Amino acid sequence: MQDASPRSEFLAGCREMLPVLLGTIPFGFVAGVAAIGAGMSAAQGIALSVFSFSGIAQLIASQLVAVHSPVIVTIAGAFVVSLRFLMYSAAVAPHLAHLDWRWRAGLAFLMTDQSFASTARRYSEPGPAGHRHWHFLGSALTLYVSWQAAVVAGVAAGAQVPAGWSLDFAVVLTFIALLVPAVRTRADLAAAIVAAAIALAAAGLPYRLALVVASIGGIGVGLAIEAWRRR
Amino acid sequence: MSTWIAIAGVALSTFLLRASFMLFVDPHRFPHWFRQALKFVPPSVLAAIVAPGLLMAGGALDLSPSNLRLAAGLVAMAATFHLRNTFAAVATGMATLWALQWALGRLG
Repeated sequence: MQDASPRSEFLAGCREMLPVLLGTIPFGFVAGVAAIGAGMSAAQGIALSVFSFSGIAQLIASQLVAVHSPVIVTIAGAFVVSLRFLMYSAAVAPHLAHLDWRWRAGLAFLMTDQSFASTARRYSEPGPAGHRHWHFLGSALTLYVSWQAAVVAGVAAGAQVPAGWSLDFAVVLTFIALLVPAVRTRADLAAAIVAAAIALAAAGLPYRLALVVASIGGIGVGLAIEAWRRR
Repeated sequence: MSTWIAIAGVALSTFLLRASFMLFVDPHRFPHWFRQALKFVPPSVLAAIVAPGLLMAGGALDLSPSNLRLAAGLVAMAATFHLRNTFAAVATGMATLWALQWALGRLG
């Protein structure tokens, strides 16, 4: 099979994100509104987004700033909800090991849940993979540019958005769109159900720790089922 | 000023976590169990994010039929499963939620 060109990989990555934008644009808007609602200035809300580029981290940081948490608590909260990036990073790293550090640093800075999911899928396909980092860059850049535009719009709108629109629900829906295709085996399903149950049961834990406890529980159950089936 | 320090800290920690294995650790040295565990990261983390969004939107666990977000979320899951795209999830989920809110507003 002919190796796809960098250009066609890049454009395919961009195109693959177009349907995703329907979810991430309202999400970015909500994140912008939340930053202003937390008492940040417009410059602070936009800087948070431009430099951290993570919807969940931005929302958590805004919630913690809003209740005047100590700086270290705000940073720790964003750190905890971003631990999943550690796992994404480990999953894509073997595919990117041949690139120089600037490429890897750039892709790391731009990586989100959606571009990770798209990239992991692209690398799982058969055929030559030498130019697939361009696919990663295409999807990640498309999300970055559209996300920042949505956040700026949210910052400009501030607190004027009616709660009745329930725009924050678009955030949950974008994660449903990632979750459903991620559940492929019974072990995946068991991991998801256990993680969901722990997330609900542990919701009272401070600093959004429930997400981490639930994730570790789900991963543990998945590993246990895998080990049991192999005996 | 403290908000700016928090923003810098959040930006630095999200970058370091993303860059961890891509930039700082040799990917060929991953232990086997770790690579096995990676497979279960997406279903676990995503389910842990979605579940409270559907079942605890009001702050407390709500399994009743009056939880419109649960109904809308289930519709979105079914649509995603059959149509396999993000557009389906967001469009059907938001449409269901708005339709239910509108209908209950008319009834109420």
